[in-house]
Amino acid sequence: MAISPPTGSRTRFAVLVLASVTLLTVGLRDAPVVREVREGASVVIGPVESAVDTVTAPVRNAWHGVTDYDDLQRENDELRAQVEAADAAGVQASDAERQLAELSASLDLPWAGNVETATARVVSGPRSNFSHAIDIDKGTDDGIAVGMPVVTGAGLVGRVSQATGSSSTVELLTDPEFRVGVRLSTTGDLGTARGQGRGDPLSVDSAISPSTKVPKRTGVVTSGVDRSAYPPGIPVGTVTSSRQGSGGLALDLDVDPMVDVDQLSYLTVMLWTDGG
Amino acid sequence: MRSRRLTPLRGALVLVVALVAQIAFVADLRIVGAVGDLMLVVTVAAALTGGPDRGATYGFFAGLTFDLVLDSPFGLSALTYAVVGYGVGLACGVLFRPTGWWPLVVAAVASLVATALYTGVGHLVGAPYPWGDVPAITVAVALWNAALVLPAMAVLRWVHGPSEPDRLEVLLR
Repeated sequence: MAISPPTGSRTRFAVLVLASVTLLTVGLRDAPVVREVREGASVVIGPVESAVDTVTAPVRNAWHGVTDYDDLQRENDELRAQVEAADAAGVQASDAERQLAELSASLDLPWAGNVETATARVVSGPRSNFSHAIDIDKGTDDGIAVGMPVVTGAGLVGRVSQATGSSSTVELLTDPEFRVGVRLSTTGDLGTARGQGRGDPLSVDSAISPSTKVPKRTGVVTSGVDRSAYPPGIPVGTVTSSRQGSGGLALDLDVDPMVDVDQLSYLTVMLWTDGG
Repeated sequence: MRSRRLTPLRGALVLVVALVAQIAFVADLRIVGAVGDLMLVVTVAAALTGGPDRGATYGFFAGLTFDLVLDSPFGLSALTYAVVGYGVGLACGVLFRPTGWWPLVVAAVASLVATALYTGVGHLVGAPYPWGDVPAITVAVALWNAALVLPAMAVLRWVHGPSEPDRLEVLLR
């Protein structure tokens, strides 16, 4: 006897697959109805999620204590070294920053240091293995809007991808769909950085000649070129390696993000939309 | 006597509880850099206890519920889980009976299929999830699924009452 599922079962399966594909098509076009439904779900599920989050915090903390101990110890040593270096660099940077602020103000140019901000707490991390978004506890009531850059003291975290009255979703810069215009802090060469997933460096498609040597640890900041979604000068990361691009005409760079997206507690939303 | 009218409500309750537990608890517990997937556990358990029909239905609604709170393409989870639920239910009728260690093995294999399918369809619809992440995600999801599939099957039996043999199973006897 031939082995095959009953016809009714096949029909139901076909209907469900068709419905999924239809939803996928509608969602891919970024339909307003899909966005509204997701925002509605966020409003409904938010308080419940927050309550469960509070109740289960001791268990999760114990889990992290066991699984992350070695990482934390190593990170602690690295941070100690970095703080010493940062103290020295900070003195030089503050002077340069003051000069840049004065110049930007006199030329009426946008500058990251002049932008109004809102500080928000991270209420949930990525919800699945394929998610590169986190939720924060501030929304449109605090002046936050879709597209605004999100940073920490270290640098760029991502951008606001969804905002309701009292909460927002932030697309992290590690998201494979994330793009940001960048420039090298040393030479001013421009490029586009894109996420490559959690734990992987950002990939920068640049216009730099392949014969150019880009030293490791060269700083990369947002370019803020005309109509950019980000103001100029936000630290993005440091170069870890460079290689010839696929066409052989320019360099591709790997950039280690300044911000560890797995260790975020409080964030700053820059109340800045495209064009300032 | 058990009311069949309440079955959809009980099923919906299971999905909502699984969703809240996923996003508020499991999503923060990483193994080898990846997290478990309770919505997939429910899908596999439904397929193991009820066959391809129930597997596909639970898979679709579990995925749809999950899609509501994710930033990934809307409908991607629904499609992936519906296919996995149907496949597990079908394999369950054809290849083995869901007893002994089989559910754990099936749950682990389903994790690999679901992760690869999600990544593959993601690429097709313009969401280029890195293929390099698939092994770690598969390991984490497989461990969670294997650990939770038996309790999840018990919950699904509570939802639907004593299991009736799947139509396919009857056909093959």
